[in-house]
Amino acid sequence: MTDPRKLGKRGSYRLGRLGAPSTPRGPWPAAHYPSFAPPRRGPAGAWLLACLAGAVLVAAGALAGWWFLPFLAGLAAGLAVRLGRLRLRAALAAAVAVAAAGWGAALAWLALRDGLPEVAVGRSIAALAGLPASAAAAIAVTLLVAVVQAATGLWLGRALAPGHG
Amino acid sequence: MAVQRPGLLAGRIIHGVIALCVSGAVLGLLAFGYGPMPALGRALDPGRGAWASAVGGVPVRSQTLTLAGLAHPVSVVFTSHGVPSIRAAGQDDAFLALGYLHARFRLTEMDLERRLGEGRIAQLAGPSAVPSDEFELRLGLLRTAQREWAAMSRSSPAARALLAYARGVNDYLAQVRADGQWPSVFALAGVYPRDWTPVDSLVLQGILTQELDFTTTPLDYALLERSLGRARTMAWFPVLPPRPVPQSPYDPGPYRYRGLAPIAPQASTAAPASQPAATTGAGPATESGGGAGAAVAAASVLSEMNELPAGLVHRAPDSNAWAVNGGAVAGGVAMLAGDPHLPQTIPSIWYQAALAAPGLAVTGVTVPGLPGVLIGHNSHIAWSLTDTQNQATLFYTEQTSARRPGEYFWRGAWHPMRQVRYTIPVRGGAPVRLTVDLTVHGPVLTRAGQTTSVDWMGNIPSPDVAALLAVNKAQDFAQFRAALAGWRAPTQNFVYADDRGNIGAISAGYYPILRHGDPWLPLPGTGADDVAGVIPYRAVPQVYNPPGHAVVTANQRPAGPSYPYYIGTTADFFDPGYRASQIGALLRGKSRLVPGAFATIQLNVTDALARRIVPRLLAALHGQHLSAPERSAAGLLAGWDGSMTTASAAAALWWTFWDDYLAAVFGPWWRAAKVPVHLDRPGLAVSAQQFSLDQVLEAWTVADPANRAFTAPGGPHRTADEVMRLAFGAAVAHLAARLGGTPGTWAWGRLHTRRFPSVTQAPGLGYGPRASGGDAWTINAADGGLESHSGPSWRMIVAWTGRGSATAEGVYPGGQSENPASGWYSDQMADWWDGRYLPMPPAAGYTAGPVRWRLSPGRGEAA
Repeated sequence: MTDPRKLGKRGSYRLGRLGAPSTPRGPWPAAHYPSFAPPRRGPAGAWLLACLAGAVLVAAGALAGWWFLPFLAGLAAGLAVRLGRLRLRAALAAAVAVAAAGWGAALAWLALRDGLPEVAVGRSIAALAGLPASAAAAIAVTLLVAVVQAATGLWLGRALAPGHG
Repeated sequence: MAVQRPGLLAGRIIHGVIALCVSGAVLGLLAFGYGPMPALGRALDPGRGAWASAVGGVPVRSQTLTLAGLAHPVSVVFTSHGVPSIRAAGQDDAFLALGYLHARFRLTEMDLERRLGEGRIAQLAGPSAVPSDEFELRLGLLRTAQREWAAMSRSSPAARALLAYARGVNDYLAQVRADGQWPSVFALAGVYPRDWTPVDSLVLQGILTQELDFTTTPLDYALLERSLGRARTMAWFPVLPPRPVPQSPYDPGPYRYRGLAPIAPQASTAAPASQPAATTGAGPATESGGGAGAAVAAASVLSEMNELPAGLVHRAPDSNAWAVNGGAVAGGVAMLAGDPHLPQTIPSIWYQAALAAPGLAVTGVTVPGLPGVLIGHNSHIAWSLTDTQNQATLFYTEQTSARRPGEYFWRGAWHPMRQVRYTIPVRGGAPVRLTVDLTVHGPVLTRAGQTTSVDWMGNIPSPDVAALLAVNKAQDFAQFRAALAGWRAPTQNFVYADDRGNIGAISAGYYPILRHGDPWLPLPGTGADDVAGVIPYRAVPQVYNPPGHAVVTANQRPAGPSYPYYIGTTADFFDPGYRASQIGALLRGKSRLVPGAFATIQLNVTDALARRIVPRLLAALHGQHLSAPERSAAGLLAGWDGSMTTASAAAALWWTFWDDYLAAVFGPWWRAAKVPVHLDRPGLAVSAQQFSLDQVLEAWTVADPANRAFTAPGGPHRTADEVMRLAFGAAVAHLAARLGGTPGTWAWGRLHTRRFPSVTQAPGLGYGPRASGGDAWTINAADGGLESHSGPSWRMIVAWTGRGSATAEGVYPGGQSENPASGWYSDQMADWWDGRYLPMPPAAGYTAGPVRWRLSPGRGEAA
């Protein structure tokens, strides 16, 4: 509120304020500096090593009955996207590959090492599930379950991790 | 440090929450499933879940297994086809080992069968199975089994065998719970078998009984009478077969009436005759028993039957069994052949085995779920079974009143119905509550139209297990006959041959007899038409060392028309004698028969009805103007021997002609009377599966060609010859349209197949359809129409060569293992199909073989 008694007096005029006492002001919001730096790709070797390790863990977990490991693999990939600023597409592809390769490797391991008739069993699983009686159908659905877990885990990891977007 | 704008932060929080919820939902779905959808995460885990069943597909290897229930070690030697020879130090251990093996190789089959009988299929299969569960709980297999077990002395041989058997099954269940290697169907459904109990075995016995013994014939008669009228119904579905159709009963008489025997006291699981609710209440003003109400009730029950899995209502003749002795057999001792005809499934109903322990040495086929050998031989006797086909099911119309809910009128007074309540668990759905009312006759099946209850002999606890174990140990006909004296249901023709050259047969079981009323119709439930008793055991059809040196049973009426007891009508699926007469003809006058000759007979596909009718048809066609295809087709029949081989065009023509002949004669009457065929096609439709119509049409064609039935209602006068000519023309036209224009190419195999569905009903896990010879009337029978689903489930030939010495061979379509990945899943199919037999283990079992198990007592583990 302007004080009329100050009119004409030295220091009485402030542009836009007319002598009203100044109000305390909070700090300005920090300036946003968008980064134009490309996401890190990382060395290909590191990617391969990480994927291989992930697939082995997922396969071992499947053999032990830990069916949810593809989800955890996806979760780790999602966190890496945020925290490590990795490319989303690459991380998704890696998570899916780890999940599918892990479960596929588990099936192959049982067939090759223990001589289990996985193809015949796959055929019967598909038939019992109402699919065409084909091992390929059963294997495809099995790997799809792993892939869905991985994709879901990646989404969650990316959503929960702090960081830039 | 950068601080995000509030809007961005809020957005990320919301995003995170959504992602968390969706992830939780996905993981939850994969972990626990939802509704009918199984827990796919667990179910499809490569190392566990459904994939773990692959272990069951690995070739069985020699190993030592430890079973907690055993008292002493047991040796099991497998043949290359997986037939085990069990040798144990005691009978309990032998039955325990059998239980273990049944569970190891047939757990899915066993669990499905007990669920079926106990009304728990919906717990595995979902809401679509609720009608089946409701029916079975209403019918009462579980109540009967529980009652039978409660009445069984725990020290009796049957109880000990059932308990030991259950222990063996549970030893296997304990193993599979520990290693997670369940059959696929359980892992996919997320529903796992509970422990096995003796009641479960008795329920399986009940399921078999139902498949062989439970019929709806009185309900069909009620609907036929309402539409066709009583006179025509009884003329076309007569009680006794019409002359001159030969029946070839194995017990030709003479017969004596020996009164009635009482049904075992307190045996029935029907409601006991209670204290009347009111002794002075007046009964209903009118007697019911026929008319619209009965038709509605029949329709209601039959509609419910249509929801049941195929095979649970008995609808077809089953089985051949015959024996010869003396000079008819090479070596002069005795020889027996048996091939039971049952629904064709994979795995088979049978599991072959040999059991040996002190006081027990027997080999043959067992039923997974039950201890003991059902068909086979021991060291001195051999036996096989065929279904007697007598009427064992009666329906009663209970007198009820809206003023007296929950009561029925019986013997002059009102009585309360007993109620039993059940809760049916449903996978993916809410549990279903069911209340079953019981009267003195049995369970109430419907209240639609009229309150209708069923009095079924299978609801009377039957000591089949005890009888079977006694048969397994019998050493002569006297012991064999004594063992079967307590057998009640299902009524079976037991055929016998021993190592001293004796043969015989006896049709053991309960034959319900009324003093009043027509048992082939629904009966008033007020008491006068109740079952008065059963045929005494000494008066049931039986024979011992017949003068003709042969006894043949193929589901034909076991006794002739002068037999003084009612055993059923032509609509009760007695075989019209086609197979029995054919077998008799092939045995007559023969001497020094060898097993190969019996095998040839078992594989015979000659249609006896065709051999009687085709000459009449050709005579009717003679001199008539025929088209070129008709002339060609007639030429095929002229040179035909009645053999229903896969390549035979005459066979295709005959079958199609007979179907068209039946349709031409009876179709107009059915349409005019509006017979409600849709309610029960097998029981009401005009078809070759309607044995009453086959017999009467044969009789008219041969001996009464001017019968009024040939003249359609409202149509011009016709005779048999005229209708045959019409049907022949129709058959040629049908086949030309379906198979192409050249009669010579109408191979029977292009029309007729056999199919063996999986017990899981999963397409792709069965066998077939595959072109096949035979038909419903050939010795090598193929029941069920053009796609046959029932036939010889086991073929066995036992030739005694001296005291305690026999050669025996057998084969069944399928294999010992239910695991589709196993080499033992269907390895016997090719042999069965091609008519080859495999040697059976001797009664004492094999002591050496390609695979050997040693079962040791102790805590369960495998080495």
